[in-house]
Amino acid sequence: MVQDMRLIELKGVCKSFGDTRVLHDVNLYIRKCEFITLLGPSGCGKTTMLRIIGGFETPSEGEVYFDGKDLTGIPPYKRRINTVFQKYALFTHLNVFDNIAFGLKLKTPETLGVKTKREAKAEIEKRVQRMLKLVKMEGYEKRSVDSLSGGQQQRIAIARALVNEPEVLLLDEPLGALDLKLRKEMQLELKSMQQQLGITFIYVTHDQEEALTMSDTVVVLNGGRIQQIGDPKRIYDEPKNAFVADFIGESNILPGIMLEDELVEFAGREFPCVDEGFDANEPVDVVVRPEDIMVVGSDVGMLTGTVESVLFKGVHYEMMIHTGDFRWKVHSTTMQPVGSEVGLSIVPFNIHIMRREAKP
Amino acid sequence: MKRSWLATPYAIWMLMFTLVPLVFVVYYAFTTKAGDVTIQNFAKVFTPGNLQVLVDSLRLALFCTVLCLVLGFPAAYFLSGKDFSHNQTLVVLILVPMWMNFLLRTYAMMTILENNGVLNTVLTAIGLPKVSLIGTEAAVLMGMVYNFLPFMVLPIYTVLKKLDRRVIEAAEDLGANPMQVFVKVVIPLSVPGVVSGITMVFMPAVTTFAISRLLGSGMIYLVGDMIEDYYITFTNRQVGSALSLVMLVLVMLSIGLLRRVDPKGEGGGMW
Repeated sequence: MVQDMRLIELKGVCKSFGDTRVLHDVNLYIRKCEFITLLGPSGCGKTTMLRIIGGFETPSEGEVYFDGKDLTGIPPYKRRINTVFQKYALFTHLNVFDNIAFGLKLKTPETLGVKTKREAKAEIEKRVQRMLKLVKMEGYEKRSVDSLSGGQQQRIAIARALVNEPEVLLLDEPLGALDLKLRKEMQLELKSMQQQLGITFIYVTHDQEEALTMSDTVVVLNGGRIQQIGDPKRIYDEPKNAFVADFIGESNILPGIMLEDELVEFAGREFPCVDEGFDANEPVDVVVRPEDIMVVGSDVGMLTGTVESVLFKGVHYEMMIHTGDFRWKVHSTTMQPVGSEVGLSIVPFNIHIMRREAKP
Repeated sequence: MKRSWLATPYAIWMLMFTLVPLVFVVYYAFTTKAGDVTIQNFAKVFTPGNLQVLVDSLRLALFCTVLCLVLGFPAAYFLSGKDFSHNQTLVVLILVPMWMNFLLRTYAMMTILENNGVLNTVLTAIGLPKVSLIGTEAAVLMGMVYNFLPFMVLPIYTVLKKLDRRVIEAAEDLGANPMQVFVKVVIPLSVPGVVSGITMVFMPAVTTFAISRLLGSGMIYLVGDMIEDYYITFTNRQVGSALSLVMLVLVMLSIGLLRRVDPKGEGGGMW
């Protein structure tokens, strides 16, 4: 990647609160106009990372660079970064218009591109209206923020941040409080806003589906450490370790032994695969996604097993299939009755091999 | 049994010691000593001399409220700060004076401010001239502020403590420097506490009586003292009652005015 495309860079960032270390040696760069998601379970340090970039926390060790300049010691109000807070943090003493105009009213007329205070007022009015249109909240100017629904408050929080034309927008689980349908709508809207405005979004979530849908780059975190950085497809198809495989989507993870290049042994038999570069007989973790297992006749499968349970999930059925020593989670659009004998088949391309990690 | 029955003892208590006396006050205010209906008592309330006392009382109460606000707000803001870990101790220190009877506190104040009191002893010891505070408005004001300050600090402290840290961060995030955060976010959001504090200080301050007598050495005469005099010294319940009613109406008017500033009554949370 070209060096000058890096807008934000975290170098060796550590953060401790008292004796608890929440971030361990985080190294990460974020490119201009990128939609990057920090993904991980609660307590993994993703919000702390966001707060460090926003200036609300100072790293215990390491530096944060913005456009090549060290950000250490620069307070939030001097950063060209705006934040959409978890639970929105709107100003309850101001109406919708004044909430959005808050940042603009702190600027001098010159920075708004006009000369007099009167022109500044008109300019603020214009920009706020443009934002209301962007977040589809026209006509709500005079409403008090308490009278808005969660989704509407969310839109105002986004407008309030975006109206300042930041170079980077930080979003801290902004859709967490919304219902599923609204969340899906907002995901698409946020993504299209980001593309329309051409600014960098740094998005924090624990929802892996949200991360995969919206992001250009996903950063998976666990226990204050970066587990994997990559585009959504790569993260999903080639998880680097068992944690990522388990956290991103559903998966069957089982121990195996890499016999030679493109041949792995697990679940009591040998499977052809596409991975290379392991030592002979190296112990590995094998990942197979539930949707990548084909249910076939019991006489033609690579493995045979008994259907233990069936759950209807809408688009597919989720079946637990027991084969001797392993219980497979299988997604299929056709249902097999509980108790029936079935065969399972996996094509080489769908077997993903991960290097075994030394357990901490 | 309905739960409302549990409030019966309280209701009886209120009836006997608040409502019944209030009825008496209204009765005396509108009758002569002989028992005839009249409004003459009110005419006697509004004599130039009495009006002067009323104005003095309002003025002192206003000074006291402003002083309490000026001293109390920064203190409450400081105490509510997140970086301060001993604030619980300090809150208790502010509360301690409230646990003592205000007469005791005022007597303590008297021993400090007296011409041969603690203050002047200290001043003499370090070679400074004596100050004659006792018997002045300043002394009465000091006594009032000392007594009423906790009632200003606590409601403001409560509101500031409840203030969402993220709202302040949001303002910083949008480009507000610490001063702008304070003026544009902290102060507007603390209004309910300020209103509550003003109410808790101004109301009792208007009708102060013992403080003015003890620290004013009889030189400062306030409405509270006047009501006491009408009832006890002049044994004129009729005018005393009329005066009490006037004060009651004034107090209720002020509450009504303050309600407009804080219509939801959010600052009343802790009282």
